[in-house]
Amino acid sequence: MSKEISYDKAFDELQQIVSDMEEGEIGVDELSIKVKRASELIKICKEKLSSTEEDVSKILKGLK
Amino acid sequence: MSEKQIFTLKQVVSSIKKTIDERYKMAYWVKAEMHKLNRFPSGHCFPELVQKEDGKIVAQLSGIIWKTVMDRVNKSFMELLKEPLKEGTNLLLLVKVTFSEKYGLSLQILDVDPSFVLGELQREREETLKRLTKEGILNNNQNLPFPLLPKRIAIISADTSKGLSDFMNVLESNEYGYHFYTHLFPAALQGDIAPNSIQKQLRIIEQVKDYFDIVVIVRGGGGEVSMTCYNNFELCEAIVTFPLPILTGIGHSTNLTVAEMIAYQNGITPTELAEMLIRSFHDFAVPLDDARKIVIRTSENVLLNAGQNLSHAQKLFVALVTSKFSKNRMAVKEIEKDIFRSFKDWNALKAKEIKHESERLVREAQFLLHNYRQRLELPVDKLKPAIERSLRQQNERLGVSSRNVELLSPKMVLKRGYSITRVHGKVISMENPAKKGDKISTFTHDFELESEIKELKKTDDE
Repeated sequence: MSKEISYDKAFDELQQIVSDMEEGEIGVDELSIKVKRASELIKICKEKLSSTEEDVSKILKGLK
Repeated sequence: MSEKQIFTLKQVVSSIKKTIDERYKMAYWVKAEMHKLNRFPSGHCFPELVQKEDGKIVAQLSGIIWKTVMDRVNKSFMELLKEPLKEGTNLLLLVKVTFSEKYGLSLQILDVDPSFVLGELQREREETLKRLTKEGILNNNQNLPFPLLPKRIAIISADTSKGLSDFMNVLESNEYGYHFYTHLFPAALQGDIAPNSIQKQLRIIEQVKDYFDIVVIVRGGGGEVSMTCYNNFELCEAIVTFPLPILTGIGHSTNLTVAEMIAYQNGITPTELAEMLIRSFHDFAVPLDDARKIVIRTSENVLLNAGQNLSHAQKLFVALVTSKFSKNRMAVKEIEKDIFRSFKDWNALKAKEIKHESERLVREAQFLLHNYRQRLELPVDKLKPAIERSLRQQNERLGVSSRNVELLSPKMVLKRGYSITRVHGKVISMENPAKKGDKISTFTHDFELESEIKELKKTDDE
């Protein structure tokens, strides 16, 4: 689940940024960096929702 | 031994039959396992009934079920158990001991109690649960972490299953554009072969588990069939110990099977299971969207606050500077006035001093002037006779010189007998030569003569 881990991490990181922002722990200087990162993470996660996975049929053929 | 008494076979079997018939007049309820059903094309069955102890057969006897009985039994089984009479189950049979001259001893089965089978199945179900609990693995699958996004799905189902097509329809026609990756691992989903068939596919999936997030077992659509195979201990053990969450959607059962109880989640029907998966995508998409909104809102707030703070600070700064400025301006004005006043005083003082000085200067000058004048007046008196004397001497010298000059004047020269002759109005010379016939004029002291040249001869220098 290598892909899934980085994806889970992306979501965790996003949640962290969001909670930091909600708690007002982000200043103007960091803001643009954090917002940029958050939008990247959102993009990664959104793509995941609709992306296509690699077909495992070939691997399975090798097993049989 | 006298003469041998000989019986025919028929006499013997008839005797046995008579004895047995007399001895076993009633019908009895007998508990036995139906090892093999042996159904004949006629519809009659000749099952092998056994009793096992520790896996070994300790009693065995043939049975007979006539077609009419068989049909009636199957009907009651279907009603209660959703499956027909099958081999390998413990049954409670109403039997009559019969002896046929031709076929020997057997038990004629008059009825089979379906509720006993139900009890047996219940017992198997409980047995499976008990064993899983005892081994401490009952909740293993349920304790697995569920993937944030159950996206890659290994499906255990039958190609032709209506349940499978229901499941796929819901997944593929979702209106949110969520994309699932599915791969079918075909297996038998009912009957005695199901547990082995499903376990075999689980073993295959385990080898490629990194490519999947979850496993689903879907079945459904068909008529009412027995689900008892999902109470099988080995199958249930394979499910709880599987490394990925296993979700079931195997149909409507009023009584949950063990597999459904111990699976990560039971979606009841394939459709409901698929909807659950879409919801879990939703559960992810919604906080994602919330996160996006929060990021936007919070950053707007941060900027707004910063802007307000800045504008507040700016106003404060301007106010402070202005007030400081006006204070300073007043101070400067005061100083200016002071300076002006001091300057005026100083000016007046200086003017006074200058006036005083100038008056003194005038006085001094007048004094000096007076002194010089006095000093000058004295020599002037002495100078007068000296000057007059010098003037006299000069006049005398001038009188002599003027007489000398008078002697040299042209008039005096003419008077002494010289004349001046002119031609063309000018004195005759090399520059103004005269020629024969020219009219010339001659001036003497007392006359002016006009004459014509008759003869012209150059003067000899000697």
